[in-house]
Amino acid sequence: MEVGILFIVSLIVCTDIFDTVSQLSMKLAINQLDAQVNSWKKAIAFLFNLLRMPRLWLSFIFSAASLSVWLFVLSKADLSLAYSIDSMRYIFITIASLIILRERIGVMRWIGIVSIVFGIMLVTRV
Amino acid sequence: MRKNRPLTFILFVLIVSTDVLETVAQFCFKKTALLQHSVTITSISDALRFISVAVANPFLWLALLAVAVLFCLWVTILSKIDLSVAIPVASFSYITIPLVSIIFFGEKIPFLRWIGIGFILLGVILVSLSSHRQGKET
Repeated sequence: MEVGILFIVSLIVCTDIFDTVSQLSMKLAINQLDAQVNSWKKAIAFLFNLLRMPRLWLSFIFSAASLSVWLFVLSKADLSLAYSIDSMRYIFITIASLIILRERIGVMRWIGIVSIVFGIMLVTRV
Repeated sequence: MRKNRPLTFILFVLIVSTDVLETVAQFCFKKTALLQHSVTITSISDALRFISVAVANPFLWLALLAVAVLFCLWVTILSKIDLSVAIPVASFSYITIPLVSIIFFGEKIPFLRWIGIGFILLGVILVSLSSHRQGKET
């Protein structure tokens, strides 16, 4: 590998932030709709309503951006390394759920996050 | 909202197939990216060129197909069981992807990195377990 680990980690932070924004706007789009889907007819209507929402398209744009950065990461770094570091998406999603969706985060989840951070530190040491 | 249904054999097989699909997808993404391993991006046009070369690669489309099937499979699984039951099985990909990296891309994984992967796996499982607990309380 000719590029530094810090560069790779920064790029993965970037792809995961894009992914989090994508997930969040998807969630906000779905929350706006009535998700009572108990028949095929309603499922199709739900999908069509979803496709009309700007937030869904925002989600798609960020998803494409996330994928582009991810491909660039993979062009520079080992897959095994990059995929392990990519687990930090769970941290961003949790923080976003806490701040934007105002979900409650239990103690177990914080312990899980500490474990992921510790794991990423070990993975990037070598 | 709570399902609490037991993890049946068929569901287990479905979740394991999400691991397989995730591994296939990442394998194909890596294949797509490898072709441009010496590319440097210093301008917007460099970035656009990088993306257009990737889009022209069949491996990218194979990966996207795997992601699409994965998404449908995942929605089906989560309609049957809780996320906290599905995630630990679905996290096998944190082990299968490094294995594929060793076999097909000749990557070397030091012992310390395996330990790190272990902590990540534990963390991912804990994060999903707690969402189950919270669901019970409310």
